[in-house]
Amino acid sequence: MHQWDFASVLDNADVFAVGALGTLRIFAICLVAGLSFGLVVGLGRYSQRRVFYWPATAFVEFFRNTPVLVQIIWFYFALPILMPFSISPLAAASLGISLNSAAFSAEIYRAGIQSIDRGQWDGARALGMSFLQAMRRIILPQALKRMTPALTNRAIEIFKMSTLASAIAYVELLQQAKLIASLNFNPIEAYTAVAVIFFVFLWPMVQLTYVLERRLARDE
Amino acid sequence: MAYQWDFTPVFANSELLAQGLLNTLKVTGASLACGLVLGLGFALMRLSRHRLASWPAGFVIEVFRTTPPLVQLFWFFFALPLIAGIEMTPLLAAIVTFSIQSAAFFAEVFRAGIVSVERGQWDGARAIGMTNGQALRRIVLPQAIKRMIPAFMERAIELMKTTTLVATIAYADLLFAANEIAQKTFRPLETFTVAALIYFVVITAISLLARQLERRLAVSGESTVH
Repeated sequence: MHQWDFASVLDNADVFAVGALGTLRIFAICLVAGLSFGLVVGLGRYSQRRVFYWPATAFVEFFRNTPVLVQIIWFYFALPILMPFSISPLAAASLGISLNSAAFSAEIYRAGIQSIDRGQWDGARALGMSFLQAMRRIILPQALKRMTPALTNRAIEIFKMSTLASAIAYVELLQQAKLIASLNFNPIEAYTAVAVIFFVFLWPMVQLTYVLERRLARDE
Repeated sequence: MAYQWDFTPVFANSELLAQGLLNTLKVTGASLACGLVLGLGFALMRLSRHRLASWPAGFVIEVFRTTPPLVQLFWFFFALPLIAGIEMTPLLAAIVTFSIQSAAFFAEVFRAGIVSVERGQWDGARAIGMTNGQALRRIVLPQAIKRMIPAFMERAIELMKTTTLVATIAYADLLFAANEIAQKTFRPLETFTVAALIYFVVITAISLLARQLERRLAVSGESTVH
């Protein structure tokens, strides 16, 4: 029977703290970059003009139909060959995860905007608003409310995806656990600790999406 | 100076890539089969009125949905063999992890599908003397499964993309094969581009098939779950 010994993990709490900081940093970068670029792509997917529609569609299809890990590794090992500068693990992982999240959130934005009643557009145009004004003042505020549960789910996915950055040795929680496990020979405790940390962080967020979904279903 | 693209070293190793793709499909197929069966089990347990069944199932589902799959894989590969005192190969660890992980997601699909079947269908089945199990198998599941197919296909595609994680524990899937070729030929740009394209083609083909299936279901008026 295995003797659980978390002392070796607690002794290395500062190593985990550095990892947690790394996880939070890449999460914040990808959340902001992914969801805002996703809006741009989503508007492109919604556009009736081919110059916007086709590139946006190609982008969404490509990034949704390839694995994130392949994208991260491509940005880390392949892209620098085309570039005159080297790419840090943080930059490569952020690029992969952000672009992937942009592709997925673009479809959420598009569906949200499409779900708004045609009459809202007509009303806004009748008041003399331009397309962009109508979008910003009338359509998006209503659509965003409907998209909140789906976007929160995306945020949770981004948080989980951040562990993939460890594959290219970016210092985050899982990478630090690997380090601790190899130094102290305690993979059981180290990886269990990481799993528990993620669960504790994300479980409240998941419960929040359930509440949001229920509230939305009630309101509509 | 512009970079000179040269795909010949990659094509010279196409056999390795083909073997990698085969291994990717193997992990995906095995995890999908186990995940579906396990997922139905979890869903039935979670829907059960007995807390002894519904709480453990709920706990497993929540844990596997809210922790990163890569952490789960590392746990099953590095930690479990020490606790259980068993030998773990990368393939076995991958199948165990992705089966349970996708089962947790499939369970929610099954549950939503079963709940979506009208209460009256249960009552009717009971009224003609069926037991709970019979009503589930003969009346409710056949109707529910048809509605769940779009969600299933989406999860299956997600699963295939998730299997790339096994490359990190040195199982020779497509990504791992690409990595090996890139190191051997010093052509990472061409190799990883080809690997990404292979994934893109295979996954796009599967999702087009899924869309076709959904359209057919929509015609027969059964596609209520989007």
